[in-house]
Amino acid sequence: MTNLATRREFLIRSGVSAAAANWALGLPSLLGHSATNRPKQRLIILFSPNGVIPKHFWPDPDSESLELKRILQPLAPFQDQLLTAHGVCNRIKGDGDGHMRGMGCLLTGIELFPGDIQGGSDTPAGWSQGISIDQFLKNRLQADEATQTRFGSLEFGVMVPERADIWTRMSYAGPNQPVAPIDNPYRMFDKLYGKSENRALLASVLDDLTDDFQQVEKLISAEDRRLLRDHVEMVREVERELQTERKRSGDAAAAGHAVPQLPPNVKEENDNLPLICRMQMDMLVSSLAADFTRVATFQITNSVGQPRMKWLDIEEGHHTLSHEPDSNEKAYEKLIQINTWYCEQVAYLARRLRETPEPGGDGNLLDHTTILWTNELGKGNSHTRNNIPFLFVGGGLGWKTGRALDFGSVPHNRMLISLCQAMGQPVDSFGNPDFCGDGGLTGLA
Amino acid sequence: MRPPPTNRPRFRVKERVVRPFPLGRRTVYGLTVWLVLTPGFLPAEDERLKTGQLIYDRQCAECHGPGGAGVEGAYEARLIGDESIGQLTERIAATMPEGEPEACRGEEAAAVAAYIHHTFYSPAARVRNRPPRVELARLTADQLRQSLADLYAAAGGAAGGTPGLVAERGLRGEYYNAPHRKKDEIKLERVDPTIDFDWGDEGPGAEINPEEFYVEWNGGLKIDETGRYEIIVRGSCSFVVDFGHEQRRLIDNHVQSGDRTEFRETLHLTAGRIYPFRIEFRQRKRKTEQPPARISLHWVPPGGVEQTIPTDQLVPVRVPPVFPLQTDLPPDDRSYGYERGIAISRQWDDAITAAAIEFAEITTAELWPADRRRHRNDPDEDRSVLRQFLADLLTVAFRGPLSDAQRQQYIDQQLDQAEDDTLAIKRVLLMAIKSPRFLYPLADSHRDRSHQAASRLALTLHDSLPSDRWLTRLTEQGKLDEPKRIRQAAERMVDDYRTRAKTRTFLYGWLQLEEAGPLDKDSQQFPGFEPLLVADLQASLDRLLDEIVWSEESDYRQLFQNPWTFTTPRMAEFYGDAYRPTAGDEALSRTSDNNGQHRGLLTHPYLLSRLAYHNTSSPIHRGVFLLRHVLGRTIRPPMEAFAPISPDLHPDLTTRQRVDLQTGAGTCATCHQKINGLGFTLENFDAVGRYRIEERAQRLDATGQYVTTTDQTVTLDGVDELARFLATSQDAQRAFVRRAFQHFVKQPPAAFGPETLDQLTESFAAQGYSIRQLLVEIAVVAATENRTVNDRRPDQGS
Repeated sequence: MTNLATRREFLIRSGVSAAAANWALGLPSLLGHSATNRPKQRLIILFSPNGVIPKHFWPDPDSESLELKRILQPLAPFQDQLLTAHGVCNRIKGDGDGHMRGMGCLLTGIELFPGDIQGGSDTPAGWSQGISIDQFLKNRLQADEATQTRFGSLEFGVMVPERADIWTRMSYAGPNQPVAPIDNPYRMFDKLYGKSENRALLASVLDDLTDDFQQVEKLISAEDRRLLRDHVEMVREVERELQTERKRSGDAAAAGHAVPQLPPNVKEENDNLPLICRMQMDMLVSSLAADFTRVATFQITNSVGQPRMKWLDIEEGHHTLSHEPDSNEKAYEKLIQINTWYCEQVAYLARRLRETPEPGGDGNLLDHTTILWTNELGKGNSHTRNNIPFLFVGGGLGWKTGRALDFGSVPHNRMLISLCQAMGQPVDSFGNPDFCGDGGLTGLA
Repeated sequence: MRPPPTNRPRFRVKERVVRPFPLGRRTVYGLTVWLVLTPGFLPAEDERLKTGQLIYDRQCAECHGPGGAGVEGAYEARLIGDESIGQLTERIAATMPEGEPEACRGEEAAAVAAYIHHTFYSPAARVRNRPPRVELARLTADQLRQSLADLYAAAGGAAGGTPGLVAERGLRGEYYNAPHRKKDEIKLERVDPTIDFDWGDEGPGAEINPEEFYVEWNGGLKIDETGRYEIIVRGSCSFVVDFGHEQRRLIDNHVQSGDRTEFRETLHLTAGRIYPFRIEFRQRKRKTEQPPARISLHWVPPGGVEQTIPTDQLVPVRVPPVFPLQTDLPPDDRSYGYERGIAISRQWDDAITAAAIEFAEITTAELWPADRRRHRNDPDEDRSVLRQFLADLLTVAFRGPLSDAQRQQYIDQQLDQAEDDTLAIKRVLLMAIKSPRFLYPLADSHRDRSHQAASRLALTLHDSLPSDRWLTRLTEQGKLDEPKRIRQAAERMVDDYRTRAKTRTFLYGWLQLEEAGPLDKDSQQFPGFEPLLVADLQASLDRLLDEIVWSEESDYRQLFQNPWTFTTPRMAEFYGDAYRPTAGDEALSRTSDNNGQHRGLLTHPYLLSRLAYHNTSSPIHRGVFLLRHVLGRTIRPPMEAFAPISPDLHPDLTTRQRVDLQTGAGTCATCHQKINGLGFTLENFDAVGRYRIEERAQRLDATGQYVTTTDQTVTLDGVDELARFLATSQDAQRAFVRRAFQHFVKQPPAAFGPETLDQLTESFAAQGYSIRQLLVEIAVVAATENRTVNDRRPDQGS
């Protein structure tokens, strides 16, 4: 990557002003804000794979404050807005191996269907039997005019393999309906801003086009020019319309909804993972600022993901390393570094949210957004789904932060119930009711 | 002076009020028929025009010139305007002739006003008098789809292009005794006629372990009609389907999960193309219980019902990728009876933008990465690979090489403004596809003859642009500049699925079958006339058309005379012995040709049931079809809508008698004599096209007559005589040639010279009525007449 010129720069150079570029790409003013002024609540579920090194991850339990261990050090600037929940366990049994159930049941809290996909052990399985919490919340929020947004939810991915299987999907729109994350930043850009980008492109090529219409007019007879002139007139009409839109866009630009700046020609390759992660996070922050959604998932690779973090001087794939026994000191150290790197990404996202003022409200985006950082396993080499990382940053859920909680050993379904409650969508159970016994967890708020 | 207008409309007398027949209790059927009324042939009005002309010649022409053209030194301006006849009458009465207005007053003024208004003065008269010329038109919706499909094909390099005709049918199946493709474990290799298998727990073959096997089907789906198709795959095991391109995944059921077995996808498919596709089906070994292995491939074609994808539509060979445009395009102008791109609307402009974006996206996803791989070892200074890729694409899109200025404007300037390749491609293609150079193929007076000829051949025969490599090579070498070579190229291009698709649309238009909607019949009277039977009927007709048109003889006369048809077991059950298949239990096979009941299309039950009510035949619909479509005669719509008399009101009358009762007398009879006279000859076929010899216990009368354009009266008895007559009728041949010309060229034949239609009709006869040869001749005319839209002077006379 020699040139990090951005899409926005490109638009600017193509003769569209900076304000117009913002208009063309964001259009937040056209979307409007919800009628009520109830503070917005947002939830981002961020996934990294293959378990953690618990000893260097979990702070010592402390219901009043917390002291960060090595892996979580990057989150030190957010210590006040941090909450860790130890003792939350994915108890879902049935078909599928540990990774598969870890992934497929993490956000759904229910068993996998019988199927033909064989994991490393246990029985083969298919897709999850239920909806995932992000999609559930999306449906609820979209059903209410006050919380409706353009997309309802967004599913970001980073280097997710081109393969739809139980290890690559954590979000489900319903039983047997896995939702594919979008891991190509340009595709995500198209989804978010594509229509307006196309309008901006159109605006910038129409002028050149009318010139050529005049050339072509010379090639035809006087009688036939009527058709061509009708056509040019139509082109001009579109041009005028685009100009009017552009003027109206001043407000949006003034409101300061920054549009992410993507470097050009980034390929989906292992070595670009850090860059793609940033690109996706920037777009996520912009989407929240523009109120495109209140719920998002952010999936870095996949369960059993094999990124090779050469930028940390680690050549082996993550999943392979995660199987090494704790006694393998080199591997152990590398796994700490890998998880610290993931933590840096969480911290980057938190920082970007904190830097962005809450539109039409108090404070910044992070004050109204919670990042839940989670994982399909508690620990890699044991494949345990006990003590899965549930780490919260930010004020979206209104929970009391700056603490390191320990729930002992509770089914994660109860945490999913608590998430629904905190997002203003109370439920009695989520996923398999057998694991929802005592309802939501206490002591979070 | 211009020859007198031939197509002169006749006036109606305003006072004449046409009332429907007293119908008593009027029952309106599902269809309301427009009974055709006399076109108001009124001798009085003609007399008046004649009088007007006499007066004009005597009193006005001296100053105004013949036809109102003006006279130098007298009244020089052309006598044209937009006043009504009444206004003109007043003005003439008051002022003309100059100096002695009293010489022309009252009735005389009215007559001369009517004459000049009708003959040359009014805007309508001026349009009528304009000699036909080749008019500029933008691409129609079909032309846009086809052009983009060929642009995609041309950009595919060696892996692109379009396949020729493929004789084999079915899909190539490879069966492995292994969990995946493994060369030495292939146990079965065969062509499967359809995909509809239930192997239960047994597996597909003796040497194949039913607990773990892999089947791969490869081939293509041949699409004959443009429209929306729903593809339905039901499979109990893991499977994936790639469609259109080996990396375009249509259905992903890689994970077999729970009881999810049915997958549906809807696509808009462009006709005249074979879409490559592959199904990978695997039964995975597992510890848990396995489902029995089943898979089937169905579709719902446009306006049709769900059915197994028929063998006829499947080809067992590898074919290049295809791009079917998904953007919805608004319908084109059809006011002349054939589609023309002569209107610009906002909806159309927006659709073109969307189409351009869609094409840019497929280019970025498929064409550009492949091109980059092909040139991975080439130097890439200043994005030269991308520049060349786009230049090649635009050379095809603009139907000829780019000038330096165009290269600069369409490529270099756009690339300078877009660092990102995806954006650069989008920019260039958005501009190119919205450009008049792509959208107006006839604006090519700057091209040499070879390029013009190639462009017109592709437009005429394929609704597309020249993209096949052999053709572009000839063009680049400048070799398409003489009729002989153009004819050779046309002959080669005619044998192509794109031409076949365009021919299908032509024939469907001719047979009034376009967008025909569902076909239902009275279920009490015709039990068994179900959607699946209708699907069989349509398949039978399609196959018959293909068989007649694309056989060696390609004999137009067989459209009326072919002594057999295609049938299915379902058709045989419903229609009886005459429809018994001769060949085993094949899905679609021939009837025997000696049962005397088949006369090409004329007896085809699909056509005849379309031209009927839900409970009775309709001699009027059949007659109008024969008169208007087959014999090419003009009949005007009636002045009022009528509902047909209900059969219940006259339980003793046959359909013929009922129609006679309603239309056989008075003003209706003038036209209905012509219509009914033809329609009655098909009375041996009821509302579903089943043969009968009596109706309501009376022997059927299938006699009729027709008066030719040369005033000969032909009497006809039944379908045999009708078929024999139509096969030799010059009216019918001429009508067929004209219709074909209009459909393929989308311009009137006279725009290519007043003799064009006559000459084509003569050569049609001289070449044994070969439809294929007719298409070649039409394409040659369109390509060699070399009338670009600017080489005719604007009409001096109007």
